[in-house]
Amino acid sequence: MRRPLRGRVARTLAAFGVATALILPAAATPATGADPLILRTGTTQTVQGLNPWSVVDVVDFEIMTLNYDTLVGFGQDVQPVPGFAESWTRSADGLTWTFKIRPGMKWSDGQPATSEDARWTMQYVLDATKAGRTLGLGYLEPYQTAAGVTAVTAPDPETLVVTTNLDNPLLLQSYIPILPAHIWSKLDPKTASSTFQNPAPIVGTGPYQVVEYKPGQFVRLQRNPNYWGNQGAADQIVITTFKNNDTMIQALKKGELDYARDVPATQFDELKANPGGPIVTTDGVSNTFYELAFNTYNKPIPGGGASTKALQDPKFRDALGYAIDKQAIVTKAFAGHATVGSTQITPFQAGWHAEPNDLRTFSIDTAKAKLDAAGYPLDASNRRLDKEGKQITLRLAWPGAPEEATAAALIVDWFAQLGIKVNAAPQDEAKLGAELLPPEATPPGKANFDMFIWDWVGDPDPTSLLKVLTTKEIGASSDSLWSNARYDELYDKQLAETDSTARHAQVAEMQQIMYDEAPYHILYYPSQLDAYRTDRFGGWRNQPSQNGNPLFGFGPLDYTYLTDAKAVVASPSPSVAVSASPGSSEAAVATTPAPVASAPPDTTVTSSSSTPLLPLGIVALVVIVAVGLVIVRRRREAAEEE
Amino acid sequence: MSGRYLLSKVGQAIVTIILLIILNFVLFRMMPGSPERILGRNPNVSAEAIAATRERWGLDKPVFPDQLVSYIIATANGDLGFSFVYRGLPVVDVLADRIWPTVILFGLGEIIAIILGVALGAYTGWKRGGLVDHLGNGASLVLYATPYFLIGMTLLLVFSVWLGWFPTYGMYQVGATYNGYFDQLTDFLSHLALPLATVALGLIGQYSIVMRSSIVETLGEEYITTARAKGILDRNVLRRHAMPNAMLPMATLIAINLGYVVAGAITVEVVFNWPGLGTLTVDALTARDYPVLQGIFVILSVSVVFANLIADLGYQFLDPRVKA
Repeated sequence: MRRPLRGRVARTLAAFGVATALILPAAATPATGADPLILRTGTTQTVQGLNPWSVVDVVDFEIMTLNYDTLVGFGQDVQPVPGFAESWTRSADGLTWTFKIRPGMKWSDGQPATSEDARWTMQYVLDATKAGRTLGLGYLEPYQTAAGVTAVTAPDPETLVVTTNLDNPLLLQSYIPILPAHIWSKLDPKTASSTFQNPAPIVGTGPYQVVEYKPGQFVRLQRNPNYWGNQGAADQIVITTFKNNDTMIQALKKGELDYARDVPATQFDELKANPGGPIVTTDGVSNTFYELAFNTYNKPIPGGGASTKALQDPKFRDALGYAIDKQAIVTKAFAGHATVGSTQITPFQAGWHAEPNDLRTFSIDTAKAKLDAAGYPLDASNRRLDKEGKQITLRLAWPGAPEEATAAALIVDWFAQLGIKVNAAPQDEAKLGAELLPPEATPPGKANFDMFIWDWVGDPDPTSLLKVLTTKEIGASSDSLWSNARYDELYDKQLAETDSTARHAQVAEMQQIMYDEAPYHILYYPSQLDAYRTDRFGGWRNQPSQNGNPLFGFGPLDYTYLTDAKAVVASPSPSVAVSASPGSSEAAVATTPAPVASAPPDTTVTSSSSTPLLPLGIVALVVIVAVGLVIVRRRREAAEEE
Repeated sequence: MSGRYLLSKVGQAIVTIILLIILNFVLFRMMPGSPERILGRNPNVSAEAIAATRERWGLDKPVFPDQLVSYIIATANGDLGFSFVYRGLPVVDVLADRIWPTVILFGLGEIIAIILGVALGAYTGWKRGGLVDHLGNGASLVLYATPYFLIGMTLLLVFSVWLGWFPTYGMYQVGATYNGYFDQLTDFLSHLALPLATVALGLIGQYSIVMRSSIVETLGEEYITTARAKGILDRNVLRRHAMPNAMLPMATLIAINLGYVVAGAITVEVVFNWPGLGTLTVDALTARDYPVLQGIFVILSVSVVFANLIADLGYQFLDPRVKA
C-alpha cells in the first residue's frame, strides 16, 4: 500500500520539475573567472524584433546601434564622429563623398569587416528604392534618400566612394546600420527586410550583440570582443520591458536595475529629492512636441469632416491660441518637467529652433475680442456662432496618456469661457489614427474629427518634423490636413539648400508661417526623465552633454565609456587615475582582474535574497508533498471505513 | 455513462470551438483602426511603405470571404500565422514562451486557492457563528473584494522592497550564472513566490465563501444528524459526509475558473512583470496584432470549452443522482 503513495508523490514532483525545466532557460555554466558584469536597463517600450529594418521605437534603435555601426557615428553632442568609417572627405561640389574605412576591423564572428560590407548595405537600399520596394516599415531608407545617394563603390577594402545628387550633409546622420555582407547577401533580398527574424546571436561590428531575445520581455546583449572602440565595463547588457512604471522604479531603488528610462514626473521628484544616494536623475532635453491639432481640411467630405468651417480659418485658430495657458499645462500635467511649446522644431534641434515673432500671451479677453473681430459673435445664449450661423461645438480626442487628459480638461474649461463647447474624450490610439484619415489615404477615410492632442518625435535634423505639415503628406503622415503653398515651397527649398545660412532662414520662415496659421498649437516639449544608479557603474555621460540623458540617445557611445564603479573603489592602484580618461577604460578593466574578481559578484541580488529563499523553497515543495499525502490518505480512509 | 452521450458532448464542444474561432476573427476585424496605421505614425514613413505593409499582412483583401477563408484553412492546418508586431515571428513562437509561465502561475495559484479556500470555507462553515467563522469569513470577503493589483503591490512593497526577501520583477534573473539546476530552481521559485501568493490570495476569497455557504446548507440535512447519532467523530462527519455533498457547487466553480487559468490575470502580470498571456493580449489588442489575438483566443476558447466539458462529464462521478 505504500507504493502507490510514493509513486504519486514522485510523479507530482517529476511533473513539476518537467514543467519548470520547460520554461527555464538552459542553465548557464558558471564562468571560470569573475561573474559577468551586467548592465540592467528598463524601459516601458516593447522591442519589436531584431531585424534592423523593423525598427520602430527608441528601444529598437538603441539595440540596433549597439549591434551594428552606422557609417558615421554620433558624438557626445550628436555631432558626426568616426563610426564604421574612420574619416571622410567631400568633393568640391559636395556631391562625392570618400570614406576611409577603418583597417583591421572584424565582425563579432571573426570575419574581416571592410568597405565591401558598407557598399553592400548601401547598394541593398539603393536597389530596393529603385525597385519601389520598402524595407521593413520604411523607417530607415529615407535617411539615404534624403541624402540623395545615387551610387556607391568600394575600390579597395579601406575606401568607400558615395555619389549623391543633393549637396547636403545628411549622409553623416544616416541611421542605416552597416550589415555583414557575408551573411546578408545570402538572403532573399525581398524577405531579408521583412520576415527575416535575424535571430540571435547577431553578427555586427557594434560594441554589443544580442545573444538572447524573448519577444515582449527582454533582450540580452554580450560584449563584442572584436570591437574597434572603447570596451565599456559592462560584459553584458539586459534591456527589460516593464509593463508598469512603478515596478520599474521600485526595482531601480532596490538595485535590481541600473537604469530606468521614462520615470513618471511624480516619482522623478521623489527620486531627485534624495541627493547623495546612488540614484541620479537626469532631466534631459526632449526631441518631442505635443500639439493641439485642428482639422483644417478645406474640402467638404460627405458623412465626415470637421463639424464647422471655422476650423479652416487661420484667424479662428489664432484666436483660440490666446485662450491656452501653456505654462499652466506644464505645471499641472508635468510638475514643471516640460518646456512651453512654440514651434514644431524641438529644443533638441536647438540650432534650428527659431522663436516666432509676436508670441501669443494667455488672455481670455484678447481671445474673445479676436473671435468677435474675425466674425464669430456670441449668440443670445452666450455660445459662439460660426459664419454659417451654427453654434460651435468642437470634439477633442487624445490617445490616453494622463498628461494629455490634464491638458484636455484645461482646454475644455478655457474654451467654455469663450462660448465654445468642447466634447472631450480619450480614444484608443488605433481608432484615433483611423479617424484622422482623409479621403486621400488608403483605405480612404472621412477625417471625422475636430481637434486632438498628440505628439511627434524628431531626428537630429529638422526635416522630418517639418514634413508632417506639407500638402504632399495629406493621406500619409499629415494629420492636420493643412495646406499652405509657401510652406511647401520652403520645404522643398530647404531640403536641397546647400548654404547653411539660407537654410536656417528658410526653416525659420516655415516656423513663423506655422505659428501664425496655427494648424497646430504646439503645447509643450516634455522633458526626457531618466534615473540611474552609480553604485555599480560609473562614467555616465549625457548626450547632448549639456542637457541630455546618458542612454537611449543616438549611437552606443555612452555604453563604451561606462566604468565598473566597484573596481575603482576596490583597487587603490594607479589604474584608478587611468580609468578616468576614456581611451584607457579597457586598460583599467584589463589590469585589475583580481580586484574585480574579489568584488561582490554580479549575482549579489540573488545571493542576498536566496538565503531566506532556500528554506522557503523547500517549504513550498514540502507543502506540495504534504497536500499529496493528505489526498491519498483521505482516499484510503474512505475505502477502509464503511 | 453511455458512449453516445460522451460523443454528443464532445461533438458539441467541437462545434462551439469552431463557432468561437469564427466569431473571434470577425470581432477583431470589426474594431476600428488598422495595424499598419499605428506603425505608420512616423514622418519618415511614406504612404507607399504603409501600403506595402498592408499588403504583406494580407489586409488589403476583403474580409469576406478572402481573409476569413484563408484564416479558417490555416487554423485547421495548425498554422496560426505570423505576428504583425513582432515582424513576422510565427504566432506559435510568440505564444509558446508565454503559455507555460501563465499555466504555472495560475495553475498553481488555483490549486493552492482551491485547497486552502475549501479548507477555510469548510472549517468556518462547520464552526458557524463562532469567532473562527467571523474572522475567516471576514478575511475571505476582504480578499475577494480586493483587486489583484492592490494585493500584488502590497506584497511587492512589503516583501520585496522593504524586507528584500524576494526579487521585484520577472520570472528569473536574466543572464545569471547558476551552480547547477537547484540554484536555478531556487531563483525561479523566488521570482514565483510573490505573484503566486497574489493569485492565491485573490482567489481564496470566492472559494471560501461558496464553500462555507454550501457547508452550512449541507449541515442542515438529516443524514448529517444520522451520522452524528451513529457516533462518528465530528471531523469525519465533516470530511466524509458533509463535504462530498457540499463540493458539488464548488466543482462547478472550479471548472469555470480552471478555464481561465490560461487567460491569466493581466494586473498580476503587470505588477510583477510576469511574462504571461494577459499582458500579451493587451499589447496585441492595442497594436491590433490580429494573428496573435486570434491565436490567443483559439487557446482560450479551447481551454474554457474543454474545462467545462470535463466538469460536465465529471459530474457523473461526483453526484450519483445525475444520470446520463
